[in-house]
Amino acid sequence: MPADYSAVLVFIIAGTGIVVFTFLLSWFVQPRNPYKVKTETYECGEPIFEQSWTQFNNRFYIFGLIFVIFDVEAVFLFPWAVAFKSLGLFALVEMVIFITILLVGLVYAWKKGALKWV
Amino acid sequence: MINITPLIPELFLLVMAIVVLMLDLFSSRRTVVVPAYVSMAAVIITGFLVFKFGGDAVRWGSNAIFVADSFSQFFKVIILGAAFLAIGSSFGTADRMTHHRGEFFALLLFSTVGMMFLVSAKELILLYVGLELTTIPLFVLVAYQKTNRASSEAGLKYLIIGAASSAILLYGLSLLYGYTGTTYLNEIAQKTAVYFLSHGFIPNAEGTTDLVGMGPAFSVALMMIIAGLTFKLAIVPFHMWAPDVYEGAPTPITAFLSVGSKAAGLAAIIRIFDGMLYAFSHDTMPNDSWGTMMAVLAAVTMVAGNIIAIRQTNIKRMLAYSSIAQAGYILIGVIAASKLGVASCGFYMFAYMFANMGAFAIVGLYAEKTGKKNISDFAGLSKTSPIIAALMTMFMLSLAGIPPLAGFMAKYYIFAAAIEAGYTWLVILALLMSVVSLYYYANVVRIMYMVDSDNKHHIIPSFPAGLVLALTGIGVLLFGILPQSILDMAYKTASSFIF
Amino acid sequence: MVITVRNPVGSVLYFILSLLAQSILYIQLSGLFVAAFLVLVYGGAILVLFLFVIMLLNIRHADLGPEAAPMIKPMAWVFGVVLLAEAVWVAMGTKARFDGVSENFGSVPEVARLLYGKFVFPFELTSILLLAAIIGAVVIAKRTLS
Repeated sequence: MPADYSAVLVFIIAGTGIVVFTFLLSWFVQPRNPYKVKTETYECGEPIFEQSWTQFNNRFYIFGLIFVIFDVEAVFLFPWAVAFKSLGLFALVEMVIFITILLVGLVYAWKKGALKWV
Repeated sequence: MINITPLIPELFLLVMAIVVLMLDLFSSRRTVVVPAYVSMAAVIITGFLVFKFGGDAVRWGSNAIFVADSFSQFFKVIILGAAFLAIGSSFGTADRMTHHRGEFFALLLFSTVGMMFLVSAKELILLYVGLELTTIPLFVLVAYQKTNRASSEAGLKYLIIGAASSAILLYGLSLLYGYTGTTYLNEIAQKTAVYFLSHGFIPNAEGTTDLVGMGPAFSVALMMIIAGLTFKLAIVPFHMWAPDVYEGAPTPITAFLSVGSKAAGLAAIIRIFDGMLYAFSHDTMPNDSWGTMMAVLAAVTMVAGNIIAIRQTNIKRMLAYSSIAQAGYILIGVIAASKLGVASCGFYMFAYMFANMGAFAIVGLYAEKTGKKNISDFAGLSKTSPIIAALMTMFMLSLAGIPPLAGFMAKYYIFAAAIEAGYTWLVILALLMSVVSLYYYANVVRIMYMVDSDNKHHIIPSFPAGLVLALTGIGVLLFGILPQSILDMAYKTASSFIF
Repeated sequence: MVITVRNPVGSVLYFILSLLAQSILYIQLSGLFVAAFLVLVYGGAILVLFLFVIMLLNIRHADLGPEAAPMIKPMAWVFGVVLLAEAVWVAMGTKARFDGVSENFGSVPEVARLLYGKFVFPFELTSILLLAAIIGAVVIAKRTLS
């Protein structure tokens, strides 16, 4: 069973390998000649006036929270999708109930304006 | 198909919770009265449904998943009663909220449904999901007053402690599953019993026998389950969250937390431990180490709760420590592990519900009216509002266990059960601690009646709050004088346990 | 690395790495559903939320303050070793009793069969739980406009 996923492992190794390889390659062949203007983040743009760690707007937060909840829901859908054929009608009915209840949640969040950018 | 009729009360309450939510969402009038009364009506109807559809179980194959036996019915009545009284006393709280009023009641109902599942679950996963459904709405309710720092702090504390204890409990449950290969409580009971019968009891160093014979993983599993559940009950080594949370939460939620979630957690403990472990261990090993461990927990809880409560000046903190101490008394009934023990636990919870809900309702009313929360602020209450003061006196004395009131009968039966089971030292300690508790309960009464003040606040409860006070007052009196009917019911609840 | 790195953003990234490693462990134990769950929910959603929180708090390097209380490190070692010893003791003392795990245990279709079969009620109750969580999230996190 785990052997079926060895392809994924090969992908991971190959993917990392290619990235590392290109970085190393450019490291070896690049000319090095640093001076003041060149070390700035945007060489021919605005000079930076703030750190990149700015404070995020806390409006993002509620979107994040609701995303997590619906993400968990998606995880519950996942095995159903994989085994849809063998599960039959009973699971379909279950799933309809499950999604209906969460639809109530969506309607609620929508109606409350939680999805709006206020 | 699966027979789901025993689930009808829970399903009804769930639908009603969603209806309450939608009602608030789609009605233009922003009034607190409609969702609150709808919720109260829903709770009452659910109470009737609990009796109508009781007795049967939802099964998968031959194993029960969800039972509506008389034990769960009894505890559901307590939980629904607590929910009803909490909703009734939260009109004022909800009225002062500017936002999200309807959700307040919907969340309360969701939590109630979770508790109902918790007391009926005979399967570990359903038990765990029920527990989560109980606590997650409570996290939100505790932190409901967003602008209030204490409430937010309480919510955060409750969330972190609650999540940690759930994780511990879940780990324990999964170990138990790993040991027995099943999540059904009845199968777990069978398998452990079979193991004991075939392997015999392995005596440990002290000559007593215990479940350690199953191997350390089994003990670890049970320890974790005990730790997780006693966190919810605020038994002493795991009590530190209770005072802060009780103080910060909106008062009706505090009351609901201290009665409803306690009743549900207690029922779960009884189901897991008395229902399956003591079922085969108690006769063969009266001094088994699990009983002793629980007895020590109960003893420490009573001592710590009562002694710290003396020093409190804030009335909500005082009641929080007192409720910790009360949990200790209730645990004695669990330890007794007999029919009488389970019955007295149920009756104690029943009596405790009336007294505690009533006391918190008065505290809430008083804080609403005057904004004061200290015990000393109650000075002169007997002059300005004699009826409220008299009721408060009754609740305090019932909590302390003074004769004509329900609390006395409750304590009496708990102690009787413990003596029957051979825990005389525990009863002596509990009696001593009751005397200690009388000091701080009576102190409230003394301040209300003896201390003069220029306090001119005349407290007139609104109709729902008045209803709550009347019901709790009648309950405390009635079941103190005539406990027999409830006691018979409570005794019947124990019939589903084999001791 | 998660707890030793001083930069909180870096610590979140290390956490993702450790979750990926954990999910590979689960794949090796043929717990494919759990592995997928870890990557999707933890790696995807929850850590994004962690990053949000860190960015919200707007911590700068200078604000991170001095090293935590000096007692913490030895205490952590003591407790860690005790916990490890306990785990070993438990594992040694337990006679393994596997009641025959079915062949495709942990595979996604098997999880589906159980989740939508034997555990219907907890499953449906979970949707209620998620609904309550949505309400909670909105109530707590929504900024209230007058």
